Amino acid sequence: MNDFRTPPTLATEALSMGYGARRVIDGLDVSLPSAKVTAIVGPNGCGKSTLLSGLARLHKPDVGSVLLDGKDIQRLPSRQLATQLALLPQEAVAPEGLTVTELIRFGRQPHQGWLRQWSAEDQRVVQHALLAAGLEDLADRPIDALSGGQRQRAWIAMTIAQQTPLLLLDEPTSALDLGHQIEVFELVRHLAGHGRTVVMVLHDLASACRYADHLIAMCDGKIVAQGAPDKVVTPELVRKLYQVECTLLTDPDTGSPLLANVRRTQQPA
Amino acid sequence: MNLPMTLRWLKPEFRKHGAAALVSNDSSMGIAPYDDVPVKPPSGYWRWGERRGDGISILIERRAVWVNSGLMIVLMLACIAYLSLGSVILDPRDVVQALAGQGDMMTGFMVQELRLPRLVAACLTGGAFALAGILMQTLARNRLATPGIIGIDNGATAFAVASVVGMSVSLAPSAMALTGAVTAAVLTFGLAAGSGTQGYRFIVAGIGVGAVFGAITQLLLARVAIDTANAAYPWTVGSLNARSGGSVQLLGIGLALGFVVALTLARSLTVLRFSEATASGLGINTSARRIQILLLSVALTALAVAVAGPVGMVGLIGPEIARALSTPRHVPVVAATLAGALVMVLSDLVGRTLLAPIELPVGIVTAIIGGPWLLWILMRPQRSHA
Repeated sequence: MNDFRTPPTLATEALSMGYGARRVIDGLDVSLPSAKVTAIVGPNGCGKSTLLSGLARLHKPDVGSVLLDGKDIQRLPSRQLATQLALLPQEAVAPEGLTVTELIRFGRQPHQGWLRQWSAEDQRVVQHALLAAGLEDLADRPIDALSGGQRQRAWIAMTIAQQTPLLLLDEPTSALDLGHQIEVFELVRHLAGHGRTVVMVLHDLASACRYADHLIAMCDGKIVAQGAPDKVVTPELVRKLYQVECTLLTDPDTGSPLLANVRRTQQPA
Repeated sequence: MNLPMTLRWLKPEFRKHGAAALVSNDSSMGIAPYDDVPVKPPSGYWRWGERRGDGISILIERRAVWVNSGLMIVLMLACIAYLSLGSVILDPRDVVQALAGQGDMMTGFMVQELRLPRLVAACLTGGAFALAGILMQTLARNRLATPGIIGIDNGATAFAVASVVGMSVSLAPSAMALTGAVTAAVLTFGLAAGSGTQGYRFIVAGIGVGAVFGAITQLLLARVAIDTANAAYPWTVGSLNARSGGSVQLLGIGLALGFVVALTLARSLTVLRFSEATASGLGINTSARRIQILLLSVALTALAVAVAGPVGMVGLIGPEIARALSTPRHVPVVAATLAGALVMVLSDLVGRTLLAPIELPVGIVTAIIGGPWLLWILMRPQRSHA
């Protein structure tokens, strides 16, 4: 079953980006599998957030391009892009005093106009987004009064209401405790299960192994490995990314790689 | 239906419909409870349009309607008071008659020829300063970032004063003020290089630019004959006394156009309160919108400065009043404009009458009344959503 019957493809071609003279990512060719969860992992400063902002057109490439269905996203009108691709920035902040429903309604922005401010479709989608994120009891609560996990779910609900086949999340769980992280990850899995292509930047390799179908491992602005977690995650890769040693096990329930006995690499004396 | 996993926080009735409902793009999925529900407006709104379906639909925020009508009524009352009070006190009923072109000649002359033009100037400048203020604040996502504070008022004043003292007659204060405002804006943005309009580097740069232009104004006044300087002085602190007719008309046209443009930008403004990334993710062409908003704010400020000088405080107080009265759902562009006009009218009324026959420049009144009052707004406990 697929809600987005022909999901658009997102890929990069020889993508290089940077800030001023400093190159942060260099010549990346990435293709993001449709209707799957892709996690971009790597050490701090490896360029993973920059890659995501490039994919979302927040940051213009120096060289190369980001292709949505084969078309350069730089050429797409903003609104059209926003109906294809939703973005949840890291630590998003809402204007003071907005309620959960009011926040979610902003997700309808790209579908609305001066003469179409609140349609039956808008009402249906916002209602679904509330339910999807389990926020119906908190619908009229101000965002400032929510817990971190609830707030993050409200933001994801906003992107759900945007109804885009592509969803980009920048460290959606970085400020959450374990229980709230799992809520967000299960919601993400769920969205991918229904045809959405989800791309998220993650700090935590263990969660990436557990919840991603596809892993893009970056180091110093380059891709060092990409593929299914159980294929690409090896002790060598972990050492290369984070300079730590680990023993790799297989999760008996899910079959995904588990990192055990993680320790610092012994420095040669 | 195969669910990859059960979402434990989903309500049972929702699980029954299946997760498809979560992301459905397609009403044929048969999400029975929602398909044929008539459209209800979101809470706090009136909706105009078809009860079902996706045709034309327009939302009107109820609170905004009350706030704007309330401000409009208070502004009208303030205007009547403004026309009635002064060295000669008139009966408000006679004032209304005089406005309609009836009643005795003397009252008619005083209202129509003496007080009304100045009232019009007060309304227009107040509205323009406050509109420019709320635009700039939204652009910078900072309540401090009004044109008055980031030096644009002072830039416009310096250039306009240069035209006044330099050529002994005010050749074209509007054009000069516009040049000055643009120069100050360019300098502020240049000095904030790269950091954009957010963060306090932009504001600090603006304060610096404002200080330099303030000093230039003082220097210009110090170097000309004392009479010329005296004539220009009230205008540099903000006064409705020294206005030239042409600049008021220009401001009138500018404010009318600017107001319409601001209304068309209102939806984008509302989204621009979020971070750059969020706004852009929601389909706002942020760079184009920012330039439009900035240009509008700078132009409105310049036109208003050309009439009344730098009454920057109004750009801060007007939007504060509007926000205190409005909901956080939108940027109260209309309310801010009305509140700005109201503040300006009341301030000039106080300035004209308090120490009569001495006239206090309106800029000083807005500073004396507005300053402490603004502090009170900022210091009082926040409402649950303010």
